[in-house]
Amino acid sequence: MKLTVKPLKQKDAGRGLAAVDRVSMRELDLENGDYIVLSGSGDGQAVARVWPGYPEDEGRGIVRIDGRLRQEADVGIDDSVTVEPADVKPANSVTVALPQNLRIRGDIGPLVRDKLSGQAVTEGQTVPFSLSFGPMASSGQSVPLKIANTSPGGTVVITDSTSIEISETPAEQVSAGGGPSAEGVPNVTYEDIGGLDDELDQVREMIELPMRHPELFQQLGIEPPKGVLLHGPPGTGKTLMAKAVANEIDAYFETISGPEIMSKYYGESEEQLREVFEEAEENAPAIIFIDELDSIAAKREEAGGDVERRVVAQLLSLMDGLEERGRVTVIAATNRVDDIDPALRRGGRFDREIEIGVPDKDGRKEILQVHTRGMPLSDSIDLDRYAENTHGFVGADLESLTRESAMNALRRIRPELDLEEDEIDADVLESLHVTEGDLKEALKGIQPSAMREVFVEVPDVTWNDVGGLEDTKERLRETIQWPLDYPEVFEAMDMKAAKGVMMYGPPGTGKTLLAKAVANEAQSNFISIKGPELLNKYVGESEKGVREIFEKARSNAPTVIFFDEIDSIAGERGQRQSDSGVGERVVSQLLTELDGLEELEDVVVIATTNRPDLIDKALLRPGRLDRHVHVPVPDEEARKKIFEVHTRNKPLADAVDLDWLAGETEGYVGADVEAVCREASMAASREFINSVDPEEMSDTIGNVRISKEHFEHALGEVQPSVTPETRERYEEIEEEFDRAEPAQEQDQLGRTFQ
Amino acid sequence: MNIDQFTRNAGQPVRRFEYDDRSLLAVDFGPETDASVDLVDDTVIVVLADDQYEFDLPEWADDAHTFMKNGVLTVELEAEA
Repeated sequence: MKLTVKPLKQKDAGRGLAAVDRVSMRELDLENGDYIVLSGSGDGQAVARVWPGYPEDEGRGIVRIDGRLRQEADVGIDDSVTVEPADVKPANSVTVALPQNLRIRGDIGPLVRDKLSGQAVTEGQTVPFSLSFGPMASSGQSVPLKIANTSPGGTVVITDSTSIEISETPAEQVSAGGGPSAEGVPNVTYEDIGGLDDELDQVREMIELPMRHPELFQQLGIEPPKGVLLHGPPGTGKTLMAKAVANEIDAYFETISGPEIMSKYYGESEEQLREVFEEAEENAPAIIFIDELDSIAAKREEAGGDVERRVVAQLLSLMDGLEERGRVTVIAATNRVDDIDPALRRGGRFDREIEIGVPDKDGRKEILQVHTRGMPLSDSIDLDRYAENTHGFVGADLESLTRESAMNALRRIRPELDLEEDEIDADVLESLHVTEGDLKEALKGIQPSAMREVFVEVPDVTWNDVGGLEDTKERLRETIQWPLDYPEVFEAMDMKAAKGVMMYGPPGTGKTLLAKAVANEAQSNFISIKGPELLNKYVGESEKGVREIFEKARSNAPTVIFFDEIDSIAGERGQRQSDSGVGERVVSQLLTELDGLEELEDVVVIATTNRPDLIDKALLRPGRLDRHVHVPVPDEEARKKIFEVHTRNKPLADAVDLDWLAGETEGYVGADVEAVCREASMAASREFINSVDPEEMSDTIGNVRISKEHFEHALGEVQPSVTPETRERYEEIEEEFDRAEPAQEQDQLGRTFQ
Repeated sequence: MNIDQFTRNAGQPVRRFEYDDRSLLAVDFGPETDASVDLVDDTVIVVLADDQYEFDLPEWADDAHTFMKNGVLTVELEAEA
């Protein structure tokens, strides 16, 4: 029976499974788990186990197999393949021949059986055998194993009870199949790409279809597409995608790397470009891949020299000149799409531009699955969790995450390795496992690459470290954590998450501390901006700084942007200050970023200030920093909580009563309370150090207590930093803001929750 | 353990497919494992060489069909009427 080949989902790849749609399964009288033989048009043959077909394939005559099986059967995607039930017996014994250069000592039989078990093999077949930690691990290559003999004969499947014998004669002549094919076509299949299904479909539709069936386009009377431009942040998989397409389509593949074609001789750079196109045309159908297009096709008006301009012009005319190009498709990749000459970005040259974005959670999971496929992971590892915790990671970051964890595993066994010896013991190889701890350790060391410039170490402050301020904490949690944790509620209520929160209050009340706790608890990326650092001496650069921050935040969402002391950059406009208006332009830029045409998705801005009256009013209206949270001077109850936090790990004498301390410290803010505690401990230490012989110190240190007298002394030293006048002033401001806030919000809440 | 927990916790590739008339659960234990499956009342018991899984079928499923072939476990449930 003939079925059409489609790619398998990443999750099911690499296990020798073939998803056959249910109608075809019934016709062939197959059940899940049955062995089938897939044979392509050539002599390629592959054996697979039946896996339930995806519901969307039902009745369409589709078999989904992964890249390895496609290679074995010598078929491509959308080819048709003959599927027959196979009669496969379990193998009693199999003899394999190893390549001579494999330097492993000891009995690798069990290892081979572990890796190959479940695979169906025939005599004479070459099986790619991936050694995830062997000498070839770094290159990602697999070792070709040749099946020298099987018992019983015919197609057999290797099981746990199969005895594996290693043949004495090395399988040196076994270069056929498996390895990278000729012409330098990379060995990447569609299953090696995670999280880019839609993009991949678009690329395939643009490139594969015209190559395989040009008659479709003739019938429609249109020219097939000529080029695709892939763009997106670095590390998202643009080059990988081009490689996979080149590998899966049997087309001639030619790469141009920008700087390579430049020559010092007049006219030679253009000639090299022409040569590449000519060569491709002779070998049509062909794909030309231009990596880092921006290096050779920069905007002509901005290009530095004559040569650059001529190269761009040459490329333009090659892409869509007088001469017919034939069946040559150009794929180009760049991460600076706006630097490309505009003449290249029109139909007939790069017909379609496909953005390869930063992967979302599901994409990240697929990517992790791809990279951990050949890795011996311990069972406790839950990739879902890692996919969730890696906001802003691109494919390259995730790859380095898995590589680092594997390196950690390697580091663990390195003491047992004898590097002097030529060969590695098979037992050691078998004992290698990547554990949860390895992954966690690796995660600490890797930051999302797009964030490296602005990344801050997330502070180690939790809600627990913030004493009092219950209302404030609750409001912050509502604003920042809820939209991320309960998106379905927000969707059901048709409400949008708040864009920003402004926290104001007297100095020392814990505004920055709260922001730190938010950063830690929100599970988001965190960008911290100290106001004055945005200012730059060049005209326009300060505004650019603001733009760049928001752009970074957008591409790494969910992100919390934290502006400390926002009054320094967001002062009221129209005051005619002496800074030539930079301040005002920065404010305007902030305004448009917060509520402009470009949507801010999953980006929350937190700002703190102790002069809310100085901030531009437009910034405080709903839709921008729409929640105003007053962080008040703590009352007695709150002060007690703050004392609790600060004395949690201090040796207090029993006589010290926190209620009494809280009562004594009217007008003290959080910072003052901290100072009191520090001063009291200092007084205790002073007494201790002056009275005890240094030699006995280590014995008696456990007996030191901070007594009530020490606290009394400290209260005399530390004065409240907020005067009643200041307090009143802030309360007035709060009233003002409360009035300015839409009053109906409160009513609605009341009615809903009655 | 019910069927959802099993789907989440199993280390093997587990797929659930919802077709028009039935829902299907497929688990690949790898063909090398000498696995067998048994259906007792509403509990599916999978016995591997060194491991055992058990999970309950959802209450609405009154007709279930389970079988194991070459390490692929299939559980077919008639969908809710």
